[in-house]
Amino acid sequence: MPETEKHGVDRPLLLVTLILAGFGLLMVFSASFVAAEEALGDPYHYLKRQALWIAIGMGAMFVMSYLPYHKLKRWSILLLLANYVLLAMVFSGFGTELGTEARRWLNLGGVILQPAEFSKLALLIFIAAYMSSKSLKIRHFWTASFIPLLFVAITFVTIQAQPDLGTALVLAAGCGLVMLFAGMPVLQASGLFLASLVPVAYYTMKEEYRMQRVFTYFDPWADASGSGYQVIQSLYALGPGHIFGTGLGRSRQKLFYLPEPQNDFIFAVIGEELGFIGAVIVLLLYLIFVWRGFLIALKAPDLFGSLLAAGITFMIAVQVMVNVSVVTGTLPVTGINLPLISAGGSSVFFTLVGIGILLNISRKAQIN
Amino acid sequence: MTELPVTRSTVRGRLILGFILTVLFTLLLISRLAWIQIVQADELYEQAWKQWNHNLPISTSRGSIYDRSGTLMAGSMQADTIGAIPMQLEDPLAAAAALSPILEIEIETLYELLLLDRSAVYLKRKVEPEVSEAIRQLNIPGIVFFREEKRYYPNDDLAAQLLGVAGMDEGLSGLEAYYEDLLSGSAGRIYYPADARGRQLPHDFTRYIQPQEGLDLYLTIDQSIQHIVERELDRIMVEAAPRQAMAVAVNPHTGAVMAAASRPGFDPSQFSLYDPDSWTPAPFTSSFEPGSTFKMIILAAMIEEGLFHPEEEHHCPGYIVVNGRRINCWTVDRGGHGTITSHDSVGGSCNPVFITLGNRLGADKMFQYVRAFGFGAPSGIDYPGESSGMIFSPSAVGPLELATTSFGQGISVTPLQQVMAIAAIANGGYLYSPYLVEQVRSQDGETVYSHEAEPVRQVIAEDTAREVALLMESVLITGTGQNAALEGYRAAGKTGTAEKIGEDGLYRSDEFIYSLVGFAPLENPRIALYVAVDGVTKGPRFGSYTSAPMFKRIMEESLNYLLVAPTEFEDTGEEE
Repeated sequence: MPETEKHGVDRPLLLVTLILAGFGLLMVFSASFVAAEEALGDPYHYLKRQALWIAIGMGAMFVMSYLPYHKLKRWSILLLLANYVLLAMVFSGFGTELGTEARRWLNLGGVILQPAEFSKLALLIFIAAYMSSKSLKIRHFWTASFIPLLFVAITFVTIQAQPDLGTALVLAAGCGLVMLFAGMPVLQASGLFLASLVPVAYYTMKEEYRMQRVFTYFDPWADASGSGYQVIQSLYALGPGHIFGTGLGRSRQKLFYLPEPQNDFIFAVIGEELGFIGAVIVLLLYLIFVWRGFLIALKAPDLFGSLLAAGITFMIAVQVMVNVSVVTGTLPVTGINLPLISAGGSSVFFTLVGIGILLNISRKAQIN
Repeated sequence: MTELPVTRSTVRGRLILGFILTVLFTLLLISRLAWIQIVQADELYEQAWKQWNHNLPISTSRGSIYDRSGTLMAGSMQADTIGAIPMQLEDPLAAAAALSPILEIEIETLYELLLLDRSAVYLKRKVEPEVSEAIRQLNIPGIVFFREEKRYYPNDDLAAQLLGVAGMDEGLSGLEAYYEDLLSGSAGRIYYPADARGRQLPHDFTRYIQPQEGLDLYLTIDQSIQHIVERELDRIMVEAAPRQAMAVAVNPHTGAVMAAASRPGFDPSQFSLYDPDSWTPAPFTSSFEPGSTFKMIILAAMIEEGLFHPEEEHHCPGYIVVNGRRINCWTVDRGGHGTITSHDSVGGSCNPVFITLGNRLGADKMFQYVRAFGFGAPSGIDYPGESSGMIFSPSAVGPLELATTSFGQGISVTPLQQVMAIAAIANGGYLYSPYLVEQVRSQDGETVYSHEAEPVRQVIAEDTAREVALLMESVLITGTGQNAALEGYRAAGKTGTAEKIGEDGLYRSDEFIYSLVGFAPLENPRIALYVAVDGVTKGPRFGSYTSAPMFKRIMEESLNYLLVAPTEFEDTGEEE
């Protein structure tokens, strides 16, 4: 492996990450303080938790940016196994619902973790490692496509069983993209994509609420107080936000109209308080992020680094696109948060870890 | 081919494609945002505004109704309406249990109301002060009080049929219904911002729609004359126990209705317990055969056409044969009027003479006058549900129809039409449209509308009217209406005895409507009055003992009340 000249991390990527995380912290506070005051008696509750996780995540990002990413390739099998162990633990006594209807979290001595967020990273590393192995013949279906997809499928099924279809889909999309970037034949990919629609359709139709969401997507006003509620409330935030927004902290929709405004629908609050201008700036920040990640992947010194950088970057991109699509009523409602901005410890932590890896790769990439 | 390894160049190409697609998708999302936040922004804002702002109605005050001298007949007083803001209730079940005995509503019913997904619900409208006070004592969060108005009538049931029923939210009958739009004004509304849990936010009211006060009506009705009329109707109901009795008085020079009522009446506070026929004054809404009073229309037409010669002699054997059918005179039992002049046939109310005269007039002329006097069409009074009666269509008039119409049979008219036709004779030949509202004023006293009395048409010449009036005077002096002759005033009148058609479509021999229509004083008529007593079951069954004395009492007392100077009779020296 050719060692290239050492230089620093990609500064634009680091900067845009810091801006997004800092801005996210501000918006989490703005979106949550009323509800937090009402429900928990502490308007700063979500702000404090998010700040703590961002701080820990930044630490992890810093560490990862110094950890040579080659080591991850060697550990990839280990990470894959750890991922399955953690996912299995969700169904054990360590699992918790956190007061929701889904069992997605692990309670490890007071630290609440969402293993699916770790899974996303672990699977990406595994797939990138697998696809970059020297002996791989990319057009050989069984070894180059079937086997890696089998691991993805097992993870997908486990996560969606929690249930957490949103995260499972993002994970599958991220891994699928890595395989596509690696050169998976288009015909195979198309066939597999069509084949994957079968389980997706099955899982969608299996659950009443998911079907509802699909119907709602076509006409949210048909059931405005039921399944269409979230989308309509989201539009009622974005519309009145107009071009310049109602002003920071002045969202009306966060006053219990939007469910969990600091989480999956935080982009609606951004659009309401900061308007079309604010929403577009956020989208452009993400685009800058993807651009830097894309350059790192392009210039990475080796295939593993390239595929891993591409996987981390585009998985975040997919997550942003799907989240904004849901908030704008462009796609049916799926529980996917906005990376770096939405409240959620595990999400922001593992996102920052991933960015740490990206930064490490950037140290060895020749950009400009 | 399957042996190819992964190459950086493939990866590079696909990454570039991936990035381009990301840029395109971002542009798609930006245009989607522009659609929502710029194009649809106003529409979404309007919808969201409705969600953010709850509202409470501000009731306005309903206009009052006054009589022609400005005495209050229907007014409004404050009353509490008990309501609830469901989202603000802490314990709907407990609230329902506490309110149930006071409001006298089932707990289940209340509980359902309290759970409704609305910003506010009414629990009970316009309650008594004690009820609202008791609920105030309970001090339940989320239970609110709206100030509303409740109709009250200082004179209880006086003129209830004219005024009508006000209802909870709108007039249901009578003038309250006819003038609903003017009386009600429009309610205002106050909007306040609220969170999704219905709690008012600490901001100012966001929108205020000013209530518009209702307008006041000043009627043509004279409360005192109305009282005299209703008292006399009550009296005849006791004395003669008829099925029905009615009266209507108008100012013959304008068509202003001074009083109108019928019995049986009703209690507006429990109107649903009464026959709907009793809710409205029968003179406006019922129609039936006029009987002999209609002869005055034929008489006026004859004089106007120059076909009436007072001294012309006729022979009345007690009947006349028309088209092979025998039609009786009311004098048939005593062998008829015998030899009688045209002049005396008015006072004597002779059917055969009037059939002869009507025949001379001819169907075309007769119905031309009948219509000109306002029969067969609504009078245009400002009261809902007026009847227009029914007269023969020109094509249906044969010799028999011509004959019966000549003495008021076979057609149906309303008492209001009759009194307006007689008013035309009283005022010199002008037909007016009757009306009830003289003025409409704002609650500040500003006049918004004032009735201008304009005749609909001149039906007959003044001379003709004068001649008819003098002939009608003879009815009260020497003719069938002597019991209606007034003390101190010259008056004109005509009696009528209408046969009633039973359910089998045939005339009933046992029930008659005794009517009398006339005006006074003769020289300068102030009142035209119609009275009728229908289906007497007690005492003497004659108009002269029922409708005639009622006419006399109402007329005399009303003229005295109006301070009309008694007629100065020329000293004839008879008493010397």
